[in-house]
Amino acid sequence: MGDGEDQWGALMLAAQSGNSAAYRRLLGEVREWLIRFYTRRLPASFIDDAVQDTLIAVHEKRHTYDPDRPFRPWLAAVARYKWIDRLRAMKRHTTDELADDVAVPDHESAVTSATVLRQLLAELKPAQQEAIRLVKLEGFSVEEASARTGQSQSLIKINIHRGLAKLATIVQGHPHAE
Amino acid sequence: MPNDRLLDELVADLRPVRPRRVGRDLLLLGVIGAVELGLFLLFGAARHDIMIAMKLPSFWWKVGSLGALTVTAGITAVRSFDPSVSPQRGLRLLPALIGAALAIGWVIDAAGAGGAALWARLMWHHGIDCIFAMVTLSIPVIFALGLLMRRGAPTDRKGSALAVGVASAAWGALVFVFNCPHDDPFYIAVWYLAGCAIVSLIARLVLPRMTRW
Repeated sequence: MGDGEDQWGALMLAAQSGNSAAYRRLLGEVREWLIRFYTRRLPASFIDDAVQDTLIAVHEKRHTYDPDRPFRPWLAAVARYKWIDRLRAMKRHTTDELADDVAVPDHESAVTSATVLRQLLAELKPAQQEAIRLVKLEGFSVEEASARTGQSQSLIKINIHRGLAKLATIVQGHPHAE
Repeated sequence: MPNDRLLDELVADLRPVRPRRVGRDLLLLGVIGAVELGLFLLFGAARHDIMIAMKLPSFWWKVGSLGALTVTAGITAVRSFDPSVSPQRGLRLLPALIGAALAIGWVIDAAGAGGAALWARLMWHHGIDCIFAMVTLSIPVIFALGLLMRRGAPTDRKGSALAVGVASAAWGALVFVFNCPHDDPFYIAVWYLAGCAIVSLIARLVLPRMTRW
Protein backbone atom coordinates (compact mmCIF):
# COMPACT_ATOMS: atom_id res chain seq x y z
CA MET A 1 0.00 0.00 0.00
CA GLY A 2 3.07 2.26 0.41
CA ASP A 3 2.92 4.41 -2.74
CA GLY A 4 -0.83 4.08 -3.03
CA GLU A 5 -1.22 5.29 0.52
CA ASP A 6 0.86 8.41 -0.10
CA GLN A 7 -1.07 8.94 -3.29
CA TRP A 8 -4.36 8.73 -1.42
CA GLY A 9 -3.13 11.39 0.99
CA ALA A 10 -2.28 13.65 -1.93
CA LEU A 11 -5.66 12.96 -3.53
CA MET A 12 -7.48 13.78 -0.30
CA LEU A 13 -5.48 16.98 0.08
CA ALA A 14 -6.57 17.96 -3.44
CA ALA A 15 -10.16 17.00 -2.59
CA GLN A 16 -10.07 19.20 0.50
CA SER A 17 -9.27 22.06 -1.87
CA GLY A 18 -12.28 21.16 -4.03
CA ASN A 19 -10.61 19.11 -6.80
CA SER A 20 -13.45 16.90 -8.09
CA ALA A 21 -11.36 14.70 -10.38
CA ALA A 22 -8.95 13.80 -7.58
CA TYR A 23 -11.87 13.14 -5.25
CA ARG A 24 -13.66 10.87 -7.74
CA ARG A 25 -10.51 8.81 -8.22
CA LEU A 26 -9.90 8.61 -4.47
CA LEU A 27 -13.46 7.47 -3.73
CA GLY A 28 -13.26 4.80 -6.44
CA GLU A 29 -10.04 3.36 -5.01
CA VAL A 30 -11.21 3.68 -1.41
CA ARG A 31 -14.42 1.82 -2.30
CA GLU A 32 -12.39 -1.18 -3.49
CA TRP A 33 -10.28 -1.08 -0.33
CA LEU A 34 -13.40 -0.92 1.84
CA ILE A 35 -14.98 -3.89 0.08
CA ARG A 36 -11.88 -5.95 0.90
CA PHE A 37 -11.82 -4.57 4.47
CA TYR A 38 -15.43 -5.49 5.25
CA THR A 39 -15.38 -8.80 3.37
CA ARG A 40 -12.97 -10.05 6.04
CA ARG A 41 -15.00 -8.61 8.90
CA LEU A 42 -18.71 -8.85 8.20
CA PRO A 43 -21.25 -11.33 6.83
CA ALA A 44 -21.83 -10.78 3.10
CA SER A 45 -25.27 -9.24 3.56
CA PHE A 46 -23.82 -6.39 5.66
CA ILE A 47 -20.91 -5.41 3.43
CA ASP A 48 -22.84 -3.22 1.01
CA ASP A 49 -24.32 -0.99 3.68
CA ALA A 50 -21.04 -0.80 5.58
CA VAL A 51 -19.13 0.35 2.48
CA GLN A 52 -21.81 2.91 1.67
CA ASP A 53 -21.93 4.27 5.24
CA THR A 54 -18.16 4.56 5.33
CA LEU A 55 -17.96 6.39 2.01
CA ILE A 56 -20.53 8.89 3.28
CA ALA A 57 -18.59 9.26 6.55
CA VAL A 58 -15.36 9.83 4.61
CA HIS A 59 -17.18 12.55 2.68
CA GLU A 60 -18.73 14.25 5.71
CA LYS A 61 -15.61 14.06 7.85
CA ARG A 62 -12.99 14.77 5.18
CA HIS A 63 -11.95 17.95 6.99
CA THR A 64 -10.71 15.83 9.92
CA TYR A 65 -7.95 14.31 7.75
CA ASP A 66 -4.67 16.05 8.55
CA PRO A 67 -2.62 16.18 5.30
CA ASP A 68 0.61 16.04 7.33
CA ARG A 69 -0.23 12.51 8.44
CA PRO A 70 -0.61 9.26 6.46
CA PHE A 71 -4.05 8.68 4.98
CA ARG A 72 -4.52 4.97 5.58
CA PRO A 73 -4.65 5.04 9.42
CA TRP A 74 -7.28 7.76 9.14
CA LEU A 75 -9.32 5.73 6.67
CA ALA A 76 -8.86 2.54 8.70
CA ALA A 77 -10.08 4.33 11.85
CA VAL A 78 -13.23 5.53 10.07
CA ALA A 79 -13.81 2.04 8.60
CA ARG A 80 -13.29 0.42 12.00
CA TYR A 81 -15.75 2.84 13.62
CA LYS A 82 -18.36 1.89 11.04
CA TRP A 83 -17.52 -1.78 11.54
CA ILE A 84 -18.38 -1.42 15.25
CA ASP A 85 -21.58 0.34 14.18
CA ARG A 86 -22.47 -2.65 12.03
CA LEU A 87 -21.75 -5.11 14.85
CA ARG A 88 -24.11 -3.11 17.03
CA ALA A 89 -26.70 -3.07 14.26
CA MET A 90 -26.44 -6.87 14.01
CA LYS A 91 -27.10 -6.98 17.75
CA ARG A 92 -30.19 -4.79 17.44
CA HIS A 93 -31.57 -7.05 14.74
CA THR A 94 -30.85 -10.33 16.44
CA THR A 95 -33.83 -12.15 14.97
CA ASP A 96 -34.01 -10.49 11.56
CA GLU A 97 -34.14 -12.75 8.57
CA LEU A 98 -30.91 -12.58 6.64
CA ALA A 99 -30.69 -11.87 2.95
CA ASP A 100 -31.23 -14.76 0.57
CA ASP A 101 -27.59 -14.82 -0.50
CA VAL A 102 -26.49 -15.95 2.93
CA ALA A 103 -25.93 -19.67 3.56
CA VAL A 104 -26.78 -20.70 0.03
CA PRO A 105 -24.20 -23.26 -1.13
CA ASP A 106 -23.27 -21.23 -4.21
CA HIS A 107 -22.36 -18.36 -1.94
CA GLU A 108 -20.45 -20.37 0.58
CA SER A 109 -17.30 -18.34 0.04
CA ALA A 110 -19.25 -15.16 0.71
CA VAL A 111 -20.43 -16.31 4.12
CA THR A 112 -17.19 -17.89 5.22
CA SER A 113 -14.92 -15.06 4.19
CA ALA A 114 -15.46 -12.93 7.30
CA THR A 115 -12.22 -14.36 8.66
CA VAL A 116 -11.44 -11.57 11.11
CA LEU A 117 -14.90 -11.82 12.59
CA ARG A 118 -14.45 -15.58 13.00
CA GLN A 119 -11.12 -15.06 14.76
CA LEU A 120 -12.72 -12.54 17.11
CA LEU A 121 -15.49 -15.01 17.92
CA ALA A 122 -12.88 -17.16 19.63
CA GLU A 123 -12.80 -14.59 22.44
CA LEU A 124 -16.47 -15.25 23.29
CA LYS A 125 -18.04 -18.00 25.37
CA PRO A 126 -18.62 -21.20 23.32
CA ALA A 127 -22.43 -20.87 23.48
CA GLN A 128 -22.23 -17.28 22.20
CA GLN A 129 -19.78 -18.28 19.45
CA GLU A 130 -22.07 -21.03 18.30
CA ALA A 131 -25.21 -18.87 18.27
CA ILE A 132 -23.53 -16.07 16.29
CA ARG A 133 -21.80 -18.43 13.90
CA LEU A 134 -24.99 -20.30 13.05
CA VAL A 135 -27.46 -17.40 12.84
CA LYS A 136 -25.31 -14.47 11.74
CA LEU A 137 -22.62 -16.10 9.64
CA GLU A 138 -24.23 -19.24 8.29
CA GLY A 139 -27.77 -17.96 7.95
CA PHE A 140 -29.70 -20.48 10.04
CA SER A 141 -32.91 -19.31 11.66
CA VAL A 142 -33.11 -18.99 15.43
CA GLU A 143 -35.33 -22.09 15.49
CA GLU A 144 -32.83 -24.12 13.47
CA ALA A 145 -29.92 -22.93 15.60
CA SER A 146 -31.89 -23.90 18.69
CA ALA A 147 -32.48 -27.40 17.36
CA ARG A 148 -28.84 -27.84 16.39
CA THR A 149 -27.31 -26.58 19.64
CA GLY A 150 -29.87 -27.63 22.24
CA GLN A 151 -30.07 -24.04 23.47
CA SER A 152 -33.60 -22.64 23.80
CA GLN A 153 -34.63 -20.02 21.25
CA SER A 154 -34.57 -17.33 23.94
CA LEU A 155 -31.07 -18.37 24.91
CA ILE A 156 -29.93 -18.24 21.28
CA LYS A 157 -31.20 -14.64 21.05
CA ILE A 158 -29.60 -13.69 24.36
CA ASN A 159 -26.29 -15.26 23.35
CA ILE A 160 -26.30 -13.43 20.01
CA HIS A 161 -27.18 -10.14 21.70
CA ARG A 162 -24.55 -10.44 24.44
CA GLY A 163 -21.93 -11.92 22.15
CA LEU A 164 -22.20 -9.13 19.60
CA ALA A 165 -22.16 -6.51 22.35
CA LYS A 166 -18.95 -8.07 23.66
CA LEU A 167 -17.47 -8.22 20.16
CA ALA A 168 -18.14 -4.49 19.68
CA THR A 169 -16.48 -3.79 23.04
CA ILE A 170 -13.48 -5.96 22.14
CA VAL A 171 -13.00 -4.18 18.81
CA GLN A 172 -13.43 -0.76 20.42
CA GLY A 173 -11.04 -1.59 23.24
CA HIS A 174 -8.29 -2.78 20.91
CA PRO A 175 -7.65 -0.10 18.27
CA HIS A 176 -5.56 -2.52 16.24
CA ALA A 177 -7.77 -5.59 16.60
CA GLU A 178 -7.82 -6.79 13.03
CA MET B 1 -21.73 -2.94 -3.86
CA PRO B 2 -22.23 0.85 -3.76
CA ASN B 3 -22.49 1.87 -7.37
CA ASP B 4 -20.96 4.76 -9.23
CA ARG B 5 -24.05 6.86 -8.61
CA LEU B 6 -23.23 7.25 -4.92
CA LEU B 7 -19.68 8.29 -5.78
CA ASP B 8 -20.99 10.78 -8.34
CA GLU B 9 -23.35 12.26 -5.77
CA LEU B 10 -20.57 12.63 -3.22
CA VAL B 11 -18.31 14.25 -5.82
CA ALA B 12 -21.13 16.61 -6.87
CA ASP B 13 -21.48 17.62 -3.21
CA LEU B 14 -17.75 18.34 -2.86
CA ARG B 15 -16.93 21.74 -1.39
CA PRO B 16 -13.50 22.96 -0.31
CA VAL B 17 -12.91 22.38 3.41
CA ARG B 18 -10.25 23.67 5.76
CA PRO B 19 -8.41 20.70 7.30
CA ARG B 20 -8.90 20.52 11.02
CA ARG B 21 -5.86 21.44 13.14
CA VAL B 22 -5.46 20.52 16.81
CA GLY B 23 -3.42 23.67 17.51
CA ARG B 24 -6.11 25.93 16.06
CA ASP B 25 -8.85 24.24 18.11
CA LEU B 26 -6.78 24.54 21.29
CA LEU B 27 -6.11 28.21 20.55
CA LEU B 28 -9.84 28.79 20.11
CA LEU B 29 -10.52 27.14 23.47
CA GLY B 30 -7.77 29.21 25.08
CA VAL B 31 -9.39 32.40 23.79
CA ILE B 32 -12.85 31.33 25.02
CA GLY B 33 -11.40 30.49 28.43
CA ALA B 34 -9.45 33.76 28.65
CA VAL B 35 -12.55 35.78 27.71
CA GLU B 36 -14.64 33.96 30.32
CA LEU B 37 -12.05 34.49 33.05
CA GLY B 38 -11.54 38.13 32.00
CA LEU B 39 -15.28 38.87 32.13
CA PHE B 40 -15.58 37.04 35.44
CA LEU B 41 -12.89 39.22 37.01
CA LEU B 42 -13.99 42.37 35.19
CA PHE B 43 -17.46 42.16 36.72
CA GLY B 44 -15.96 42.12 40.19
CA ALA B 45 -16.46 38.45 40.94
CA ALA B 46 -12.99 38.02 42.43
CA ARG B 47 -12.92 37.40 46.18
CA HIS B 48 -12.24 40.60 48.12
CA ASP B 49 -9.10 39.20 49.80
CA ILE B 50 -7.59 37.81 46.61
CA MET B 51 -4.21 39.48 47.21
CA ILE B 52 -3.92 37.81 50.61
CA ALA B 53 -5.24 34.51 49.28
CA MET B 54 -2.58 34.49 46.58
CA LYS B 55 0.04 34.21 49.29
CA LEU B 56 -1.49 30.97 50.60
CA PRO B 57 -0.30 27.58 49.34
CA SER B 58 -3.92 26.39 49.11
CA PHE B 59 -4.74 29.03 46.47
CA TRP B 60 -1.92 27.88 44.20
CA TRP B 61 -2.76 24.26 44.97
CA LYS B 62 -6.24 24.91 43.58
CA VAL B 63 -4.97 26.82 40.54
CA GLY B 64 -2.18 24.33 39.78
CA SER B 65 -4.27 21.18 40.20
CA LEU B 66 -7.25 22.46 38.22
CA GLY B 67 -5.01 23.99 35.56
CA ALA B 68 -3.15 20.68 35.07
CA LEU B 69 -6.48 18.83 34.86
CA THR B 70 -7.91 21.33 32.38
CA VAL B 71 -4.87 21.21 30.10
CA THR B 72 -4.49 17.42 30.20
CA ALA B 73 -8.17 16.67 29.67
CA GLY B 74 -8.57 19.46 27.10
CA ILE B 75 -5.67 18.26 24.94
CA THR B 76 -6.88 14.66 25.29
CA ALA B 77 -10.38 15.67 24.18
CA VAL B 78 -9.34 17.80 21.20
CA ARG B 79 -6.82 15.23 19.94
CA SER B 80 -9.45 12.50 20.17
CA PHE B 81 -11.71 14.31 17.70
CA ASP B 82 -9.38 12.86 15.04
CA PRO B 83 -10.76 9.38 14.19
CA SER B 84 -7.33 7.76 14.40
CA VAL B 85 -6.53 9.08 17.90
CA SER B 86 -7.90 7.37 21.03
CA PRO B 87 -8.55 9.38 24.22
CA GLN B 88 -7.73 6.40 26.45
CA ARG B 89 -4.06 7.24 27.09
CA GLY B 90 -4.91 10.75 28.25
CA LEU B 91 -7.84 9.50 30.31
CA ARG B 92 -5.54 7.10 32.15
CA LEU B 93 -3.46 10.09 33.27
CA LEU B 94 -6.40 11.86 34.87
CA PRO B 95 -6.88 9.63 37.96
CA ALA B 96 -3.15 9.99 38.67
CA LEU B 97 -3.44 13.78 38.42
CA ILE B 98 -6.50 13.86 40.69
CA GLY B 99 -4.77 11.54 43.18
CA ALA B 100 -1.67 13.75 43.21
CA ALA B 101 -3.85 16.85 43.73
CA LEU B 102 -5.61 15.25 46.69
CA ALA B 103 -2.31 14.07 48.20
CA ILE B 104 -0.83 17.55 47.98
CA GLY B 105 -4.03 18.93 49.55
CA TRP B 106 -3.67 16.44 52.39
CA VAL B 107 -0.08 17.60 53.03
CA ILE B 108 -1.22 21.24 53.06
CA ASP B 109 -4.06 20.30 55.39
CA ALA B 110 -1.80 18.35 57.75
CA ALA B 111 0.58 21.29 57.89
CA GLY B 112 -2.25 23.64 58.96
CA ALA B 113 -3.79 24.07 62.41
CA GLY B 114 -6.74 21.72 61.73
CA GLY B 115 -8.62 20.42 64.79
CA ALA B 116 -12.18 21.38 63.86
CA ALA B 117 -14.73 18.66 63.28
CA LEU B 118 -14.79 17.46 59.68
CA TRP B 119 -18.53 17.94 59.38
CA ALA B 120 -18.27 21.57 60.47
CA ARG B 121 -15.45 22.13 58.02
CA LEU B 122 -17.61 20.91 55.16
CA MET B 123 -20.10 23.83 55.46
CA TRP B 124 -22.44 22.04 53.13
CA HIS B 125 -24.69 25.02 52.37
CA HIS B 126 -21.65 26.91 51.03
CA GLY B 127 -20.60 23.76 49.24
CA ILE B 128 -23.87 23.54 47.33
CA ASP B 129 -23.41 27.16 46.19
CA CYS B 130 -19.88 26.31 45.08
CA ILE B 131 -21.10 23.38 43.01
CA PHE B 132 -23.74 25.51 41.34
CA ALA B 133 -21.16 28.19 40.46
CA MET B 134 -18.66 25.64 39.10
CA VAL B 135 -21.27 23.95 36.93
CA THR B 136 -22.39 27.32 35.54
CA LEU B 137 -18.84 28.45 34.82
CA SER B 138 -18.09 25.23 32.94
CA ILE B 139 -20.84 25.90 30.38
CA PRO B 140 -18.88 28.04 27.83
CA VAL B 141 -16.06 25.50 27.53
CA ILE B 142 -18.30 22.44 27.51
CA PHE B 143 -20.35 24.10 24.78
CA ALA B 144 -17.25 24.93 22.70
CA LEU B 145 -15.71 21.48 23.17
CA GLY B 146 -19.05 19.85 22.41
CA LEU B 147 -19.27 21.73 19.11
CA LEU B 148 -15.68 20.80 18.22
CA MET B 149 -16.43 17.19 19.07
CA ARG B 150 -19.55 17.22 16.90
CA ARG B 151 -17.59 18.74 14.01
CA GLY B 152 -14.77 16.23 14.49
CA ALA B 153 -14.86 12.47 14.05
CA PRO B 154 -14.30 10.87 17.46
CA THR B 155 -14.24 7.09 17.22
CA ASP B 156 -14.37 6.57 20.99
CA ARG B 157 -17.27 8.90 21.71
CA LYS B 158 -17.65 7.89 25.35
CA GLY B 159 -13.96 8.45 26.03
CA SER B 160 -13.92 11.78 24.21
CA ALA B 161 -17.07 12.87 26.07
CA LEU B 162 -15.44 12.04 29.40
CA ALA B 163 -12.34 14.04 28.48
CA VAL B 164 -14.56 16.96 27.43
CA GLY B 165 -16.42 16.72 30.74
CA VAL B 166 -13.27 16.68 32.89
CA ALA B 167 -11.69 19.55 30.93
CA SER B 168 -14.84 21.70 31.17
CA ALA B 169 -15.40 20.86 34.83
CA ALA B 170 -11.81 21.61 35.79
CA TRP B 171 -11.92 24.87 33.85
CA GLY B 172 -15.20 25.93 35.53
CA ALA B 173 -13.67 25.16 38.92
CA LEU B 174 -10.47 27.02 38.00
CA VAL B 175 -12.39 30.20 37.14
CA PHE B 176 -14.35 29.80 40.37
CA VAL B 177 -11.10 29.71 42.36
CA PHE B 178 -10.85 33.49 41.93
CA ASN B 179 -14.18 33.94 43.67
CA CYS B 180 -14.27 31.12 46.18
CA PRO B 181 -13.33 32.37 49.68
CA HIS B 182 -12.60 28.89 51.02
CA ASP B 183 -9.02 27.76 51.48
CA ASP B 184 -9.60 24.64 53.57
CA PRO B 185 -8.19 21.72 51.52
CA PHE B 186 -10.76 19.33 52.98
CA TYR B 187 -13.64 21.58 51.91
CA ILE B 188 -12.06 22.07 48.48
CA ALA B 189 -11.33 18.38 47.94
CA VAL B 190 -14.92 17.40 48.72
CA TRP B 191 -16.90 20.12 46.96
CA TYR B 192 -14.65 20.74 43.98
CA LEU B 193 -14.50 17.00 43.35
CA ALA B 194 -18.30 16.83 43.58
CA GLY B 195 -18.74 19.75 41.15
CA CYS B 196 -16.27 18.29 38.67
CA ALA B 197 -17.89 14.85 38.95
CA ILE B 198 -21.34 16.26 38.15
CA VAL B 199 -20.18 18.11 35.02
CA SER B 200 -18.08 15.13 33.86
CA LEU B 201 -21.00 12.76 34.35
CA ILE B 202 -23.41 14.99 32.42
CA ALA B 203 -20.94 15.28 29.53
CA ARG B 204 -20.28 11.53 29.57
CA LEU B 205 -24.00 10.75 29.41
CA VAL B 206 -25.17 13.43 26.98
CA LEU B 207 -22.37 14.08 24.47
CA PRO B 208 -22.03 10.56 22.97
CA ARG B 209 -25.66 10.77 21.82
CA MET B 210 -25.20 14.22 20.29
CA THR B 211 -21.99 13.45 18.44
CA ARG B 212 -22.88 10.26 16.64
CA TRP B 213 -21.66 10.20 13.03
